[in-house]
Amino acid sequence: MKYLIKRAGFMAFTVFAVCALTFFLMNVIPGGTAELILKHTLIGLEESATEEQLSQISSRYNLDDPLYLQFYWWVKEAVLRGDIGTSYIYNKPVLYLLTLRLPATVQLAGASMAIATLAGVSLGIYSALQENRISDHILRIVTLFGVSMPGFWIALILIIIFSLKLKLVQVSGYGNLENLILPAAALSLHSVAAVMRVTRTSMLETLGQEYIRFAKAKGLPVWKIISRHALKNAMLPVVTVIGFQMGNLLGGAVVIEKIFAWPGIGSLLVDSISARDLPMVQGCVLAIVTMFLLVNFIVDILYTHLDPRIRYG
Amino acid sequence: MKNKNSPFFILLIILLTCAILITSGCSSKEENNAKEAVSGMEVASGSDAVSQQEGDSEDNTLVLGEMWEIDSINTINGDGGTLICEKAAVTETLVGANEDFSLKPGLASSWKQLDENTWEFKLRENVTFHDGSEMTAEEVKFTLENVIKANTKVASMLKVDTIEAVDDHTLKIKTKEINPILPGILHYPDTAIISPSSFDESEEFIKPIGTGPYKFESFDEQTRILTVVKNENWWGGKVGLDKMILKGIPDPNTRAMAIENGEVDFTVDVPYSETDRIDAIDGITVEKYKTPRVYKLDINLKHEPLEDIRVRQAMSYAIDRHAIAEHVLYNVGEAAAGPFLPTMVWANKSLSPYTRDLEEADELLTAAGWVDTDGDGIRDKDGKSLNLNMMTYSARPGLPPMAEAMAAQLKEAGIDVEIEVMEMGSIYDRKEKGDWDLYLAAYNIAMVPDPEYILTNWYMTNGTDNGPGYSNQKVDTLITEARKITDLEERYKKFNEVEAIVNEEQPMIIVAYYGCAIVKKDHVKGYVFDPTAHDYRINAGMYIEK
Repeated sequence: MKYLIKRAGFMAFTVFAVCALTFFLMNVIPGGTAELILKHTLIGLEESATEEQLSQISSRYNLDDPLYLQFYWWVKEAVLRGDIGTSYIYNKPVLYLLTLRLPATVQLAGASMAIATLAGVSLGIYSALQENRISDHILRIVTLFGVSMPGFWIALILIIIFSLKLKLVQVSGYGNLENLILPAAALSLHSVAAVMRVTRTSMLETLGQEYIRFAKAKGLPVWKIISRHALKNAMLPVVTVIGFQMGNLLGGAVVIEKIFAWPGIGSLLVDSISARDLPMVQGCVLAIVTMFLLVNFIVDILYTHLDPRIRYG
Repeated sequence: MKNKNSPFFILLIILLTCAILITSGCSSKEENNAKEAVSGMEVASGSDAVSQQEGDSEDNTLVLGEMWEIDSINTINGDGGTLICEKAAVTETLVGANEDFSLKPGLASSWKQLDENTWEFKLRENVTFHDGSEMTAEEVKFTLENVIKANTKVASMLKVDTIEAVDDHTLKIKTKEINPILPGILHYPDTAIISPSSFDESEEFIKPIGTGPYKFESFDEQTRILTVVKNENWWGGKVGLDKMILKGIPDPNTRAMAIENGEVDFTVDVPYSETDRIDAIDGITVEKYKTPRVYKLDINLKHEPLEDIRVRQAMSYAIDRHAIAEHVLYNVGEAAAGPFLPTMVWANKSLSPYTRDLEEADELLTAAGWVDTDGDGIRDKDGKSLNLNMMTYSARPGLPPMAEAMAAQLKEAGIDVEIEVMEMGSIYDRKEKGDWDLYLAAYNIAMVPDPEYILTNWYMTNGTDNGPGYSNQKVDTLITEARKITDLEERYKKFNEVEAIVNEEQPMIIVAYYGCAIVKKDHVKGYVFDPTAHDYRINAGMYIEK
């Protein structure tokens, strides 16, 4: 329990640090904030702005105040009233926009993570059992391919095969399970490969242990050896990798969401950055960091179940 | 206890976590929809919209794959103006425009200038809003005043002092200074007329209630699908489609595959390199048009080699505009002469594009003192070689490859150009500091159907878009004079002279006219391209015939 409190405090600090970093970095990158906001809201990217319009924007959003003051106000509103600002571009509360967009990203990342875990672990076990046989080699080459190919390319190839040729699913859309399949598959491929490779290595190592040989000698069937004895011991590094993959998934989602016109926060974040929509960027970063921390928290809890020798606190 | 530690239990935990993540997504979505319904906005849930779209595919419904994400339907304070007016055809402007960009009546049937600063607009009679109320001068005044308040751009162009509703169908607009392009500005989609009932009691924008051929039906804020339906009582006559579903597909490749797969009936700007392949597919047609936008290369006149007119002319001779239009733009666009499309009524039609002539370029550069003395293929002068940088951005797919092509062509003339594809913010920063030589961009040339706006901003000393820092006394005088002339012929004559001068002096190189590829299923009939629209305009005559 004490550990939980400590952990929560640490998470809160991380979130704060990331927000502060984002805030100041956003103000360091070149290009006038007021000018970019103006061009993204009122006048169009390639049109020119007048001084009058610029000062109007600056004063509307208090952009001329010192940075630390701007940040202080933002934190104050966020902590005291739970208000993390209003988007400059969309003219709506950031929190409201996040509630619209977050579910889509959670679905996508969650589904990808499920695919990565299930497919990665089972293929890894299979590959380890078939060590150095032809199917093992094929699987390893395929995963090498999966790790090396960029997500956007995989996405387009999947669309061509499953939508255009086989006519199984729609190219883009959002709302039902069918629409989730392609983006989740495209997004997870990289993670499936990573998880599989770690599972395979770790499984091989475990299978070489003496207690496994003992279990074999005892006459236990293979599936029982794997499920009762080997898997649990081999899972520790795998769980670590799965936790890290969450970051990968959230990053990859930015591209995948654009291709599939998926209404998540990835594309929202990119658009907000180029428009210098500071409150919106802060909101997105806040959501992403929280998600990442939560998943890694779950991973840490899983550790203690996997290896009772690990104790926190 | 033994059971608890089994690997299956762990797998179960992982699965449950994923399941919770997924379902939590779903449930919060439903909550959102519930919240929306309470707040009174008509929002269909995502799956409803999809099933509707499948169910209606037999009927007279058009599914449109729009090129930008649909973020806002707010026509006043938001960037929904162009979408709602031109692509959804929900609202209409007071003034319309013909193919040659000359003006024609829209919601206003006629207008005249009473004195220097006063305009009188006669409104069309028997026009009703989608809520059934009649459109009178009061509603028009209401819209324009709100637009001016919220949109500094429109305000700075209109220069309006007061707006007065004289009677039900007469509107008087007084400007602060003489403003001959006022009617032209009222063709701008952001000035489209809406009913005051578009707002609720607390003056929050709810939905656009216009006068156009289609009525707003729903906008799903989550899936961002906009649905409009036929307006049976449109003043303009019969409307072709029963329903139109607009969804934003920002990726050009995805748009191409969506129409190949039959998910949309109409879309635009698939990758230019794909246009011919898609046109060859049975049941899909690709049509290429010019839109009022140009690809233009700004030249920093403050940098030593570029202030020499001969160097700039040589560059223009070295660039092969026709090859660029054919091989970079795949003919979605055309080689350009002046800043205006030759089809525009005010364009200087005597100009023709610079054709590639490396000998002429060589002569000019040699005369300017730039010769390749050390034999490295790059010209030099006083020990300095002719190296330039070219900035551009990737938001418009034609720009980076065009920059590459131009760099290769300029190299053949002995000019070394380094390409830098950058983010917009960095470009503004570099321009501010003056740390650049060349800047390739795409500019809108007819936001207002009149040459004044562009020529003033681009070529006047200290004009807002005068990136090169060009200054020519004669050009300044001609533009200042022309701006005060209301007689169109006299006005255009002066502007034509300006076009001829800048074509000679090349402070910016106009490379190509921007194009638009319209991709539609063959069962979509009655489409007429409107060259005055920003990207494309949906016309009331479109219908589906299967």
